Amino acid sequence: MVALMAVAPLVLVTLLIGLRGVAAMRTTSDFLVASRRVSPLLNSAAVSGEYLSAASFLGVAGLIVKDGVGALWYPVGFTAGYIAMLILVAAPMRRSGALTVPDFAEARLASPGLRRLSALVVLVIGVLYLVPQFRTAGLVLSAVSSTPYWVGVVISGTVVSATLALGGMRAATYVQAFQFVVKLLLFIVPAIWLVAQVGPEVRHSAVHPVEFTRFDRDTPVSFQVDVVLEVDTPTVVRSSDGQESVLTPGRLDVQAGQTLVFEKGGQVPAVRGAAPLGGEEWQRPLLNTNNAGYPLLGTLAILTATVLGTMGLPHVLMRFHTSPDGRSARRTAAITVALLGMFYLFPGVYGALGHVLVPQLYLSGTTDTVVVALPTQVDTGWAGTAFSALLTAGAFAAFLATSLGLLLAVSGAIAHDLVPGGLRRVRITVLLAAAAMVLLALPSARLDAGVLVTWGFTVTAATFCPLLVLGIWWSGLTRTGALSGMLAGLLGTSGAIVLALAGPQVDGWQGILITQPAPWAVPLAFATMVVVSLFGRPSPWARKAMLRLHLDEPPPHGPTADPPQPPGDDRSA
Amino acid sequence: MPNRARRVAVTSPQTRLAHSRGRARGRWRVPRLESTDAERAAELYRRQRALGAVSLLLVLILLVGLPLVFWAWPELDSVRLAGVPVSWLMLAVLPYPLMAFLSWWQLRGAERIEER
Repeated sequence: MVALMAVAPLVLVTLLIGLRGVAAMRTTSDFLVASRRVSPLLNSAAVSGEYLSAASFLGVAGLIVKDGVGALWYPVGFTAGYIAMLILVAAPMRRSGALTVPDFAEARLASPGLRRLSALVVLVIGVLYLVPQFRTAGLVLSAVSSTPYWVGVVISGTVVSATLALGGMRAATYVQAFQFVVKLLLFIVPAIWLVAQVGPEVRHSAVHPVEFTRFDRDTPVSFQVDVVLEVDTPTVVRSSDGQESVLTPGRLDVQAGQTLVFEKGGQVPAVRGAAPLGGEEWQRPLLNTNNAGYPLLGTLAILTATVLGTMGLPHVLMRFHTSPDGRSARRTAAITVALLGMFYLFPGVYGALGHVLVPQLYLSGTTDTVVVALPTQVDTGWAGTAFSALLTAGAFAAFLATSLGLLLAVSGAIAHDLVPGGLRRVRITVLLAAAAMVLLALPSARLDAGVLVTWGFTVTAATFCPLLVLGIWWSGLTRTGALSGMLAGLLGTSGAIVLALAGPQVDGWQGILITQPAPWAVPLAFATMVVVSLFGRPSPWARKAMLRLHLDEPPPHGPTADPPQPPGDDRSA
Repeated sequence: MPNRARRVAVTSPQTRLAHSRGRARGRWRVPRLESTDAERAAELYRRQRALGAVSLLLVLILLVGLPLVFWAWPELDSVRLAGVPVSWLMLAVLPYPLMAFLSWWQLRGAERIEER
């Protein structure tokens, strides 16, 4: 309950900054030049604030407990995406004047069809990215307040809708920058407190993992989702009403809502499809996806998706438009790399402590709650409760920031590109989209936030990444080429995702390529775009349209805020 | 704040006209580029492309090289620095300063190219 009360002030402050920010910009001149005053530092804090989602705040630590140390590759990819953005996209995209990828598609290739296809891709990305946000927010709320999962999801949906309806995101840059600072503090301070509080033995076992084979105390495990366990030897458990029973060796299906108390000294059952917690494989710094035995392929698949996916994320691209020109858009991307780097130093701390202190979450299938579960394990007094509440608030801030930005991007795509309508249409679309996400999140509790979000990145990497990269750097790109490449990428990735969700279990490297299609889908999309373009002819103005993106803005007149240029450089053009 | 007036959107007559036609963006126009601008743009494009290729290569070396190192030398898991396995540190800490440095380097290079 305390944790829920920590969420309320956060939502209120978000609303207040939104309303105050608007009130502070009341004169016409303020209104007109507002974006010019947004410095790269402020804007990159806003970009990071929008970017750090529930998957970063909770998901990475959860994946470490579930899949092993190799899960730390996710944040590396999330950060490296901004270097790719800095090198390839940031400045030319800003100079194109396009707010969204659909806009860019029309500005560069003058194709309404491409615009509509891009809007459709925005929808797909939005769903893949939003569902895990709603799911994780619901999971955390239900974990800290011991209500059923669906109550948490519905509460989260209501809060988002209310915030949107009350205009909480209006001064978006300030709100997002504030959210970033909140998230950074609420993530780092509890981490340091935890490390100081746990005592030398736990610190030692955090970095000297041993395989989780026997329960060292009577351990209650409450299953919030359906889980398949594999029992090796007969194991004594008590159910919540105190009845003892013996699990026989073999496959055991546990239903959501059950609580089993495993006896001290009993053998820990294995979780189907996951590496044994703390074991040899778990300690390796590579991602052994599906426990399939191809750690190198698994790692590179995640990296391809996350690094190349970042540059097309609809809610992030929109932020870059707040920069006054291409130059400061580039600086924004560069500073973002540093800001994200600070944040991502810490998920590992939660993961390493989590596998020692709350290993039972590994069994219950809800490792995404590791971060909020840790403080109460370390301190049963008020301090543990307080830090747990703070972390819940931070996770909720992460959920809010990303969901609001994405919901706006998705409804923009619907109301602007797919079925054009007025502003009123946008408002209604936002609420409908939020409701749809709640409905989709209800049956998704079982899916890890990190995995779902990575699918969003995968679709982006196989559609928008080739469109942006080739559109900006290759004048030979044609409309037909761009269309067919995007279609190939979209169909390839979404087909693989559907297969991974509903199809039969595939083992080995083929299984990895189905659950993480980026290594083949991204080259496929690039190749299709290039080959089809080579068979056609680009428009006569194509080269001009491309070069225009690389032309820098004329230097501003009068005093500038730019730092002095490094001396001794005589290569003036 | 007493007596708060209702906010109105400030738009130019052309924008209002465009809105009333049901299309906020106006018609697509063939991109134009003055010939002096075109020369500068082509030069900038070439040099940014060369710099970008080098930077991308460095990112690639970091992001593909590190997994290869972990794969080729599993011994790194048992070497410890201040109690923590070196391979964990190389994954959890090392990439971030390297990436921050790389982006600073790329940023400086890209801005130098645009100096007038």
